Amino acid sequence: MRTKAAPITSLPVREEMTTKYSNLTLESHSISMTAMPMKENNKGNQICVDRGIMLQRNVTLERPNMPAEKNITLERPSNVELTCQFTPSGNLNSVNVTWKKGDKLLEDNYLVNATGSILYTQYRVAVINSKQMGSYSCFFGEKKQQRGTFNLKVPEINGKNKPLITYVGDSVVLICKCQDCLPLNWTWYTGNGSVQVPIGVPVNDKYVISGKHANETKLKITQLSEDDQGTYWCHAIFELGESEGHVELVVLSYLVPLKAFCAIAAEVVLLVAIILLFEKYTQKKKKPSDDGKEIEQGEQLKLDDSNGIENSGPRHRKNESVGQ
Amino acid sequence: MAYRAEPPDGGWGWMVVLSAFFQSALVFGVLRSFGVFFVEFVAAFEEPAARVSWIASIGIAVQQFGSPVGSVLSTKFGPRPVVMTGGILAALGMLLASFATSLTHLYLSIGLLSGSGWALTFTPTLACLSRYFSRRRSLATGLALTGVGLSSFAFAPLFQWLLNHYAWRGALLLVSALSLHLVACGALLRPLSLAEDPVVGGPGAQITSLLCHGPFLRYTIAITLINTGYFIPYVHLVAHLRDLGWDPLPAAFLLSVAAISDLVGRVASGWLGDAVPGPVARLLMLWTTLTGVILALYPVAEVPTGLVALTVAYGFTSGALTPVAFSVLPELVGTGKIYCGLGLVQMVESIGGLLGAPLSGYLRDVTGNYTASFVVAGAFLLAGSGVLITLPHFFCVSAPTSKPQDLVTEALDTKVPLPEEGLGED
Repeated sequence: MRTKAAPITSLPVREEMTTKYSNLTLESHSISMTAMPMKENNKGNQICVDRGIMLQRNVTLERPNMPAEKNITLERPSNVELTCQFTPSGNLNSVNVTWKKGDKLLEDNYLVNATGSILYTQYRVAVINSKQMGSYSCFFGEKKQQRGTFNLKVPEINGKNKPLITYVGDSVVLICKCQDCLPLNWTWYTGNGSVQVPIGVPVNDKYVISGKHANETKLKITQLSEDDQGTYWCHAIFELGESEGHVELVVLSYLVPLKAFCAIAAEVVLLVAIILLFEKYTQKKKKPSDDGKEIEQGEQLKLDDSNGIENSGPRHRKNESVGQ
Repeated sequence: MAYRAEPPDGGWGWMVVLSAFFQSALVFGVLRSFGVFFVEFVAAFEEPAARVSWIASIGIAVQQFGSPVGSVLSTKFGPRPVVMTGGILAALGMLLASFATSLTHLYLSIGLLSGSGWALTFTPTLACLSRYFSRRRSLATGLALTGVGLSSFAFAPLFQWLLNHYAWRGALLLVSALSLHLVACGALLRPLSLAEDPVVGGPGAQITSLLCHGPFLRYTIAITLINTGYFIPYVHLVAHLRDLGWDPLPAAFLLSVAAISDLVGRVASGWLGDAVPGPVARLLMLWTTLTGVILALYPVAEVPTGLVALTVAYGFTSGALTPVAFSVLPELVGTGKIYCGLGLVQMVESIGGLLGAPLSGYLRDVTGNYTASFVVAGAFLLAGSGVLITLPHFFCVSAPTSKPQDLVTEALDTKVPLPEEGLGED
């Protein structure tokens, strides 16, 4: 099927470029969209104000044009094929198809095709350096413009979300890693506000950069002091650009938990003192009356003993006579 | 010095319940929540998780095997100085651990030192509690043991918060400060002189007489069997649920539900144990049998509702058997020998506890799922409850008043002065 605005066949101009880079891997990604039908449905009464006149009718609020978006992670140069497919509500021929990179309109390198009631458009690009990375969008112009976006990005680096707590004099290892990527190189920076200062430029004992596997990097800092506190940035360098992660480091002095410990220890000593003193106090109150009671008990028990056999049953009777 | 013929059953006893509550929280709550630290240790020392988990295992083993030591010392010196020393040891262990530079360091400080501290606190406290109560013993024990469950809820998030703000060294320092409260709990354990104390003699004599005591030995065997099966669901329930296809969050949530029903079970059983006449061993047998049956039913349940119902029931019955398990002992051996008795039981039952989880894991590795593990756990529990039937007075209608009665009359005749249990007791 033909459409008005787009060329149908593949493009001879760029073909040489594609063959030049044909040894690169091919990545294909696609997005599919359908136009939202403007139908009446009985989902709720809406009050519409039309030119100052209040009308009440059953309408469907047009669903907002949800952007279809796809994130594509690219590590090394490759041929990328982006496909958008669209099911228009009306006539296929009335649909206007365009591609944009960012805000810039793309003139060529794409084709449009249609089977049945579905419209396809495909854009090809050979991504060889960071200039080709970014957002590519396909536009289907119907009554309401539909848009699909492909975000070409370098792999993300994971540092640490929670700050790392360390103490003065300790050493710490900061780790940055990425899932399945193999960067060309890693570099570390320490952040001072918005300024990033590289680490390890004068090679010294304090900072040691290492990494067992290519997908991770470790920065070991020894002899920590409170000046070392702050944010550390790790940069992964790819052919297609740079990606960064960050780790926050907090350096505490030993006094911080020690003060808390001493406070709690003091509280425990206080508790013990209160308990023991309370006991001494209640006993002092008892002592004078106690002596008298004891003698009574002794006599009582002697009496009970003689009746031992009879009293063997109910124990509570004996309890009362012995006293508290 | 007046020797009481009867335990006070109240009064200062409730302060002992409070002390026991906090102690079970500080000993077992800390042990149960220690898993939060493991992740940090694995990262800090770069050791595999299996080696790190030995820290808790050593701690538990020392606590249980060391129980008789705590008992013997308590019999000689009374519970108060022993528990206070235990508290200091436990806190010292944690304090030294905060300076650790290797895993061995942690094994020795937390495992050995804190473990010994815990051995000196838990058993004497529960024994002391049994001496303070007779009619309401089960309820008091049940209430005190709720400390374990509640503290697991509280300590896990607390420890995580401490780790986030102070890293593991600072966090251990503060957990050490927390453990110092064991000393305060120990101070609450006022010595109590009961009438049968002079008769039963010193610790050596007590242990010898206990080892020749038929019912005591049978009880110990029963408790050991129960202990073997008891911990298996706690260790393997989440894994079993994951095997059945549950997500980690609902599985963990179900475990929390079990913990809540465990709490309810403890208190309910404690109250029931006192309200129902007759030997408490019967109730223990009831709860143990029920728990065993529930465990055996686990492999049959596949439907989520069935599993939830079983887990709630398991939580309730397993919680219910704990206070009565402790209450049976004074009825068997009398409150005079309770310290040594409890110490010996703890030591022997720990064998069951240590064997249970690895056995269950081994069965799972051999058979491929947890069916065999749960059934075997249930079998151990049923075997334990079977042995309980052989205890004396099991089929009697009224409460046993056996030994203590005779001991009282003897004691008051002889009036032997006792070396321990200082001055000024109640």
